[in-house]
Amino acid sequence: MKLKAKKISFRYHTGNRQILNEFSLEIDSREQVGLIAPSGFGKTTFCKILAGYEKPDGGSVLLDGKSLKEFGSYCPVQMIWQHPELSVNPRRRMRTVLKEGDKITRDIIRGLGIEEDWLNRFPSELSGGELQRFCIARALGERTRFLLADEITTMLDLITQSQIWEFLLEETRRREIGLLVVSHSRPLINRICTRKVEMEPWT
Amino acid sequence: MRINRRTKTIGWIALSSAFLIAVTLLGCFWREAALITDFSRKNLAPCKEYLFGTDFMGRDMFVRTITGLSLSIRLGILTAAASAVFAGVLGICGAVLGKGADSFVTFLIDLVMGIPHILLLILISYACGKGFFGVVVGITLTHWTSLARLLRGEVLKLKSSQYIQIASRLGMGKLQIAVNHMIPHLLTQLFTGLILLFPHAILHEASITFLGFGLSPEEPAMGVILSESMKYLAMGKWWLALFPGGLLVITVLLFHMLGDNICKLLDPGSAHE
Repeated sequence: MKLKAKKISFRYHTGNRQILNEFSLEIDSREQVGLIAPSGFGKTTFCKILAGYEKPDGGSVLLDGKSLKEFGSYCPVQMIWQHPELSVNPRRRMRTVLKEGDKITRDIIRGLGIEEDWLNRFPSELSGGELQRFCIARALGERTRFLLADEITTMLDLITQSQIWEFLLEETRRREIGLLVVSHSRPLINRICTRKVEMEPWT
Repeated sequence: MRINRRTKTIGWIALSSAFLIAVTLLGCFWREAALITDFSRKNLAPCKEYLFGTDFMGRDMFVRTITGLSLSIRLGILTAAASAVFAGVLGICGAVLGKGADSFVTFLIDLVMGIPHILLLILISYACGKGFFGVVVGITLTHWTSLARLLRGEVLKLKSSQYIQIASRLGMGKLQIAVNHMIPHLLTQLFTGLILLFPHAILHEASITFLGFGLSPEEPAMGVILSESMKYLAMGKWWLALFPGGLLVITVLLFHMLGDNICKLLDPGSAHE
């Protein structure tokens, strides 16, 4: 499968600054693409557009030539956010977070190092790294074809980082899920990705 | 045995609700006794037989106070519940039904909030013919605003929150999101709002009755008892005001504590402490 972003332009209605200007990108489901750009260049915004959270002012996002809407209510392009503590409902137990995903298997839960005992806790009783594992697991549902990882391990220690990335790489390669990795860390991207894309500043 | 916070909280909740229920039931039971006048025992100071003394018509003040409190509690629960429902419906409609509905609800909230509480309360109660019905309608129509505003804000905040956006991308429908993600937030707000409304309702009932725009003078209500006792305070009949007033304050405090403790149990931040 191919995820294609064609000449995406975007600006938030609150600000007047153009965030993205005719930015194009194509990802195959067998590759891992790294996206690098300094702060404020619209990396997160671009991910939000790819996953259908925002509508671009210009351009289009196509998955195998079809728009995302044609794939039903579950979006095959899933995004993992930078802040796990904002991505889970503080009033629901962690068990429900996994249920939200699309048939999350035991292997995924085990592979990410999620312990049985965490499932009964509330989000405020887990650390950021532990929460992020749940968010990753939730995004790895059965119908997910592309995964957008927006700085997902920036706040974790190195051991946890390598554990999570090792699992993600193996899982996405095996299931042929395309991966877009957004990060400030060049060594990480060099290590994981088959291809590197830099966003150009535009003036 | 070490007592943890959870058991202590539950203990407090049980204790305060037991007191409130006991007062309410006793008051219902003593309805007739509170009206008995006996001029052979008028103006007695507190003694063994009459714990709170008797008034100028020889009525037992202890029975009268409990009956008055019972009436206040029932009235408080009724009005707090009614205004919480009112607030819930209007607040959620404002946030969900789009811009027109939202500005209408905001306008209503500002309108009611802009007029001083007690003034509006007197007007509505008077227009509805005073008495129990007038007081209930008056308090209900003036006390929903702050809770409605709170709920409206909460729904707006929830709608734009990350986890709800994620849920919709994961294929959850609007109804599913409302039930699973929003209700847990709103219910606790609504519930604590309701309990915190209660002391307001009781005190406002007492104050408009005191001013003469509420319940009728023969009824053993807190406001009536207190306003009558004012006339006798200068004559040294201190017990007529002190005990009923003190008990009213205790009841209100107990309700406040009940609300606080239930809050602590429901909030996930402290639920497991």
